[in-house]
Amino acid sequence: MPAVLVTLLVFPFAVSVATFFLPVRASRVVSVVSGTAAFVLALVLVPTAADHSQVAAGSLLRVDALSVVFLVATAFLYATTSLFAGGYLHLAKNAAGARYGRRFYAGLNLFCWSMLAALLVNGLALLWVAVEITTVVSALLAAIDDTDGATEAAWKYVLIASLGLGIALLATIVMYYAGTTVFGGSYSLSYAKMLGGAGHFPAGAVRVAFVLSVLGFGTKMGLVPVHTWLPDAHSEAPTPVSALLSGALLAICFYAILRFFQITVRAIGPTFPRTVLLIFGLASLLLAALYLLSQRDMKRLLAYSSVEHMGILAIGMSFGVPIAIFGVLLHVLCHAAAKGTAFFGAGSVLRKFGLKDMAKIRGGIGALPWSGPMLVAAVLALSALPPFGIFRSEFLIVSGGLSDPHDVVTAVLVVLVTLAFFGLSWFTTQTMLSPNVTEPASGNGAVVTPPKGEVSTWIVASMAAGLLALTILGVHPPAALSHLLDHAVHELGVPR
Amino acid sequence: MALAPSTYAGVADIVATLVLLTEFAMLRAALLRSQVRIYAFQSLVVTALTLEIAAVRHIGALYALAALTFVLKVVIVPALVSRLLHDADVDLAGSPVLGVASMALIAIAVSAFGFFAAGSLHVHSPTLPATALAIAVAAVLVAFVLIVLRADVVSQAMGFFSVENSVYVATLVLAAGLPLILEVAFLFDLLVAVVVIGVIMRVHHGRTRTLSTEELDRLKG
Amino acid sequence: MGPGVVAPQGIQALQDATILLGAPLVSGVVSHVEARLQGRRGPRMLQPYYDLAKLFRKETVVTEESSWVFLAGPVVAFGCYLIVPLLIPVLTTYGLPLGYMGDILGGGFILALAGFSVALSGTESGAPYAQLGSSRAMTFGALIEPTILFVVFAVALLTSTDLPYAMAATVRSSTSEIVRPGHVFAAIAFFLVVLADTGRIPVETHTGTLELGMIDEGRTLEHSGPALALLKWGSAMKQLILYTILINVFVAPWGLSGTGSGGSVVLAILALLGKAILLGCIFALVDNLFSKLRLFKITEFLAAAFLLAVLAVFIFYARGG
Repeated sequence: MPAVLVTLLVFPFAVSVATFFLPVRASRVVSVVSGTAAFVLALVLVPTAADHSQVAAGSLLRVDALSVVFLVATAFLYATTSLFAGGYLHLAKNAAGARYGRRFYAGLNLFCWSMLAALLVNGLALLWVAVEITTVVSALLAAIDDTDGATEAAWKYVLIASLGLGIALLATIVMYYAGTTVFGGSYSLSYAKMLGGAGHFPAGAVRVAFVLSVLGFGTKMGLVPVHTWLPDAHSEAPTPVSALLSGALLAICFYAILRFFQITVRAIGPTFPRTVLLIFGLASLLLAALYLLSQRDMKRLLAYSSVEHMGILAIGMSFGVPIAIFGVLLHVLCHAAAKGTAFFGAGSVLRKFGLKDMAKIRGGIGALPWSGPMLVAAVLALSALPPFGIFRSEFLIVSGGLSDPHDVVTAVLVVLVTLAFFGLSWFTTQTMLSPNVTEPASGNGAVVTPPKGEVSTWIVASMAAGLLALTILGVHPPAALSHLLDHAVHELGVPR
Repeated sequence: MALAPSTYAGVADIVATLVLLTEFAMLRAALLRSQVRIYAFQSLVVTALTLEIAAVRHIGALYALAALTFVLKVVIVPALVSRLLHDADVDLAGSPVLGVASMALIAIAVSAFGFFAAGSLHVHSPTLPATALAIAVAAVLVAFVLIVLRADVVSQAMGFFSVENSVYVATLVLAAGLPLILEVAFLFDLLVAVVVIGVIMRVHHGRTRTLSTEELDRLKG
Repeated sequence: MGPGVVAPQGIQALQDATILLGAPLVSGVVSHVEARLQGRRGPRMLQPYYDLAKLFRKETVVTEESSWVFLAGPVVAFGCYLIVPLLIPVLTTYGLPLGYMGDILGGGFILALAGFSVALSGTESGAPYAQLGSSRAMTFGALIEPTILFVVFAVALLTSTDLPYAMAATVRSSTSEIVRPGHVFAAIAFFLVVLADTGRIPVETHTGTLELGMIDEGRTLEHSGPALALLKWGSAMKQLILYTILINVFVAPWGLSGTGSGGSVVLAILALLGKAILLGCIFALVDNLFSKLRLFKITEFLAAAFLLAVLAVFIFYARGG
């Protein structure tokens, strides 16, 4: 099993280096192979992680049930995104196009590698390092299109995210300091060690570390009020990158917060960290729901939907009952699949119509016979409609909330999620389902009607994979996976 | 009457306060070049602090760290940014949103908050006195003020780098025993961030022919 | 009381005498050194005494519009400068009987009163430049005030008293007190205050004749004869008083008489004058190294001093009491 970890760490990196030199045509295939391999390897880890408490390779690499949950989500997006990217990229047939392709694929694989690494490493410090690497790589990817918008978004992203990570580093350091009271001056920040000693950490320092970590990693996770970079970066980055940012990177920052949560719960009990998460979660959900009602740009719409879902994750954690935590972890998986699929669909529309402004797009479902309906399905999945996985996960979170004295919060959660549903589905159905009638001349008349037909079968395949996963998670999650999630809930140290 | 700290702690506090003062100097500096120089000086101060702790507390790894800090933050980073400035041929920093005096007052208020917030932690470190932590937190906040109130990419980047410096001071306070490998990883990450920020600064300059961020207002909502 | 011990009242009188008679000497030596630094031969070291003597022999000219305030101002200020040395540690490490008349704030008030009466007297002359100088002096005085207050706070926090004697004793007690950040920054802030208050570069060119840049010097333009002599003498005394506070309270409170014996008091007088001259030379050096700030940039200089004083207080609090 340790070999799996090493492979997961080494292989994507090697692929990233290779794709920088390979021609784009080859990179396309190699990336899909690499992504699929990563996904398979992550799945291989599932039964083991669910049975044993952890799998380690040396002192630096280690996974447990919690990290495998996120590993599966990330690797799944890695696979589907590289598939999608194969159909999405339209490169000029010249030197500039080839250079763009090489850079893009090297960056894409490196980005996925850094995210996998964040989940594989053992210890808060290495986790921080890996997350910082994800920031810089994804910032470069966000800037790769070299438009005014992309530059602006990349600058905001790199600056705000780096500052957030500065705070996260402070959180790590404070946590280290909390540990010195137990372990002495010099020790490694490995998870097992921290969890073992957490009971004796000084409460004040742990409390500060936790708040700083939520603020710091929350910046990258998209928690309000430190989410401001998120819609810009998501809307201006190339669509495959947006999908990874939204589906995987945000979740990884949530994972980082959970690592702090784990230690904090053992050190000072669950009340304080839950309250902190509740505040940030409610703020995120509220703001995102309101913004969702007023978006015209399809990718920004999906970006705010991410903020909404990150808010749901935080609120779910704050409920604290096992069933809600189970729902939260399932939600991570489902959100990765659904948000990925939705972005792929948005990318398909983008390529087809050459526009992001939803007010100008009509009859998408007619123009895109496969990806059109699937985009609608993905948006409905994001809005937690059955039979998709998010219905199940949100249902679990809500029932967890109702089983505890969180009635009011749960009611607010349901109302806001419904509000978000309106925003999300209103604009999407308008874009996709409304018939393609020519607008009266009073409008600017810029309704585009491209001929019927798919952009690429690669895109259709990637979306189908996402919807398939969503359906499986919604209808009947595999037993091994449930087992894994159970284990992860247990690892989060939530009292039963 | 409070007890005086040891001589070592006093000197360390003064050096740490210099970090905060350089932050204020950055806030005031009107020329981009001088901002870079102040950053280099701040890094030098940080290096000196590392050396002092290494010498007094006999932590050998810190000597190596000090050397690395010096090379990276006093030499390489300022040199990289200076080259960008030279190529961009821009001297003046983006006009601050507020006057110098108002900025200074805001920064003083913000750092007061940092001081009292950190002071309420009652952190006691074997390596550095808790005061240095308060100073580091205050410096982080003042750097935030710099980033918010200055509208050009160089000031903002410098603000970020000095946030990193301040966090580094906090690291020295709270975790001087942190294994060297991790410290080096942190530094390496900084280097990567510097390069990426440099690249995006260059792209920005290439597109707009300015270093100002005032035009970066297209993405909203 | 042991043999050879000077009575406290005697020392008290000596304190005043030292400031009164030593001030022109310090000014003379410093301006001599300053001239040398600039490559000039400069005036004799005792020149200020001759100047004063000459001015006292001359008659006083008063404009017809001026009231009695014009002539009273210099006298009041001079009186104030004679009171302040009683309150601060000039010669002894221990407080003298009248030393407890006022604390560090009391001393500050009396100095402010002196400045105010000079400014009032300058305004009373009716001459535009004197009025300009007065108004500027009061404006910047108001800006310096917060800094002084925070320095006082820092002192109070460090010693739990507001007595300059206690502060000096604290500084003497150990090296760790000297490098204590609260102390260092308060001292630097006070250094900058002294720089501004004695009309030195970068705030003012104290030897200049350029009326437009004048602040403190401008106030006395209309005075003549004995009144001018009192003003000049007073300003030299003020300078020595500020030097004394900086030296004997903050920076180097050594060489003071701890016993009150005759020998130690004489030694203390010599030590004080020596240290003051040394400090004056440092100020002269600053004068040579920096250029004068534009009038509107002076606020930034004062803001820096304020920042240091505030930091001194903050750092003290960060320690947690």
